[in-house]
This record gives sequence, C-alpha cells and structure tokens, in this order.
Amino acid sequence: MRKQSASIFTFVTLLLALVATASDDVAEMRHDLMENDVRGAAKPLGAMLNGDRDYDQAVVLESLETFAIAADTFGDMFPEGSEGGRAAAAIWEDRAGFEAAMQKWRDATAAAIAANPATLEDAKPVVGPVFGACKNCHDTYRIEED
Amino acid sequence: MKKTKALTLLAAAVLVAAWVTSPQTLSNDDLPDHAPDAVAGELVFWAGGCASCHATPVDGRRAKGDNKLLLGGGLELDTPFGLFRAPNISPSVTTGIGSWSMLEFVNAMQRGVAPDGRHYYPSFPYTSYARMSVADVMDLRAYLDTLPIVEQVVPDHSIAFPYSVRRGIGAWKRLNLDASAVIESSDELVERGRYLAEGAGHCGECHTPRGRFGGLLTDRWLSGAPNLDGDGYIPNITPAGKNTADWSQRNIARYLESGFTPDFDTVGGSMVAVQENLSKLPLSDLEAIAAYLKSVPAVARETDSNEET
Repeated sequence: MRKQSASIFTFVTLLLALVATASDDVAEMRHDLMENDVRGAAKPLGAMLNGDRDYDQAVVLESLETFAIAADTFGDMFPEGSEGGRAAAAIWEDRAGFEAAMQKWRDATAAAIAANPATLEDAKPVVGPVFGACKNCHDTYRIEED
Repeated sequence: MKKTKALTLLAAAVLVAAWVTSPQTLSNDDLPDHAPDAVAGELVFWAGGCASCHATPVDGRRAKGDNKLLLGGGLELDTPFGLFRAPNISPSVTTGIGSWSMLEFVNAMQRGVAPDGRHYYPSFPYTSYARMSVADVMDLRAYLDTLPIVEQVVPDHSIAFPYSVRRGIGAWKRLNLDASAVIESSDELVERGRYLAEGAGHCGECHTPRGRFGGLLTDRWLSGAPNLDGDGYIPNITPAGKNTADWSQRNIARYLESGFTPDFDTVGGSMVAVQENLSKLPLSDLEAIAAYLKSVPAVARETDSNEET
C-alpha cells in the first residue's frame, strides 16, 4: 500500500513540476493516471465485489487510498489549452459540473475508507457508489475512442 | 395504336409501383386476445430503449433519471440520409400519440406505418420491432399510456431527395422488412436472448453494417458498422469482435447489468443509454442476451469503415 501511494506521490510531484510546461504532457499524465493507477486499483476491487476473488480488507483499503490520491489531483489535470485525448469538451464548457463529478468521486471514496469494510457484505454498499462515481463522470466528461 | 400500348404499359407500371410502395398493415383480426399489461410493458419499454430517442433532451444533453419518462421527442439524429427528429410519443392527444388506437400503435411499431398511412423512415427501428410479439407491443402501449403527457410539437425531419419521397420507403420495406429471426436457435436461453436482441433491443440497427440504401446486411450481422449519427465506429459484438472476443457469457451479462467491462472500464458513447435501459431487465434476460451474443456467427468487421455494398 505504501509503495503504491509513494509512486503516485512521486508522480504528482513530477506533475506539479511539469504542469506549466506543455499541455500535451498533462494530457498524457491524466491518461496514465487513469489507465495505470486508477484502473490498476479498480481491478482487484471490482473482482472482489463480483465474487471472482476472495475478499481482502487490506487490498480494498489500498485500492481506495489510491483512488483518494488520484481523485485529489485528477481534476487539476485539465488546464485551459490541454483539450484532447478522451477528455470531452464538456470539461471546459461546464467546469462546475465536472468539479461536482470529481467531488462525488472524492466523497464516495472518503466514505468508503471511513467505513473500512471488514466483509464483502459491508463493502458492497460503500464501494458501489465509488464505481458509480466513475461511471457518472465518464458518461458526460469522457468521449469514446475509435 | 403504339401510343395506346405505351400508355397501357405506363399504367401497368404505375399500378405495380403503387402496389410495391403501398403500406402493408395489420388489421384488428391480427391482434391477439390479450389484455394489455402496463407492468409487463415497462420491461418492454426498457428493453426497447424508447427513451434513448424519444425522451426530450435536457439542456442539449440526453435525459437522465425520471426525465427519461418525458417522451416529448426532439432529439436529432444527424445521418447521411438526412436529419431525423424523434417525434413526441407521450400520451398527449394533440402533440403525442394519445389519440392512437391499439391497432394504429401496433402498425407503427411493427409495420412502420403511421395512422395517416404514411411510411415511417427506418430511423425508427420497426424492422427490429417487427420481430416482437404483438402482445409485448400491446403491453408497451399500456405502459406508455401511464407516462406523463408532454405538450410539445416536434418539427418534421429534414431529408434530402430521393430519400424525401416517403412512398419510396414502401419499396425499401419490401426488401428489408422481415419479421423472421436472423440467427435462430433451438436453445431456450439463446432463443430468449435472440428475441430480445433482434426484436425490442434492436442491437442490429447500430451494430450491423448497412448497404447502399440503408438495409441491414444480415450476412454481416452484428459485425460492427460506421456510426451513422456521429464519428467513429460501432463495435463488432460477434465472437470475432476485437474488444469483446474474450468476454465470457457472464462478463457480457455483467457489463449489461453494471456498465463495467471485465477490465473495469465503463461503458461509453451511445451504449451508455442502452446499458442503463437494459440494466432494468431481470438478470436472466441479460444472461439470455449474453448467451445469444456468444452464439452468433463470428464475422470480422469490414476493413474499410466507409465501404458500402
């Protein structure tokens, strides 16, 4: 858990150093954060919720903490001029709506961490909304790739 | 003499054309002895995805939540054939379909014919709905009657010649309106899935490529197609599909239920609305659709997305 969080911390530091340089880099970073860190954390969590993997409280918490760090930074990775990739124009046209979707992700994640679910049955009602937040934001603020 | 013969030929040609293009409808005798059930009809409504086109957009975006039940129409489909505007199908007597008889509703859904006898454009997927049972269509009507009235006039489609000639759709229907199964199966679960996917679910309307005049190429069933209402490509969902080939039946059912891929990505594009609708069906129906999709012939997608045959 610490190792993964540390790698994200390094990543975020790098991001802050680079954020002013080129918007292409930001676009690439937000893509990497989603594709690698967030998806990497979602997979074991989803597998447990689906009953395809034994429940492991430590892994659940690790995934949730990865989400929490990502959710704190991800919303800042869409500065003016960094349009492109799978980011929908709606992010820049409706910044308040996008921020609200980000907040939903943060809130759901924080609540799930606070609940620290010990069993699968405890996890379902608190982790479900976290996945719901993914979907909620993607539906409006992410476009399809070809 | 010659002139008379020519005129006779012309008259015969006109008669044949009139017959070829004339609307084919059902009569009251074709309606089964069935008491329409609005509760069953709600499931038909979600299976059919009616709201995806007919729910009035909110602030330029597709309707969500309870707004999906406000079927005032107005959504625009900008296609190579022209600009289609989804009509009002709320129970309003003046601007919706509240005044229609059950027979008129069934003929619209399954024969693509309006109460005034005009042909509907196949942007309204009656070629799929023709495969539904009449009883399901009747249940659907009963459910639609329970939804809120929306008073809204939707302008007509903007279609360019020759597609603007509605009689021409009659000839098109003779070639393309076929209520028989595309991929039949003797397996009960697969057959239920086929009924849902080929009928109400109208999966083929987006996922199957079309020929020059918009008819579905059933020998390339579900193998993916250019997106007619925007950019990009609608995926191949046969067992040869590049993204879904290794999905299990369970993976597919779960995706339809939750909107998450086996890789925990979320459903995207126009499939978002489809998945949200389908998630209201019983899991057994989603399993059936999944079983059907695993059973259809594996067909590679056409390599040139602009290809027309």
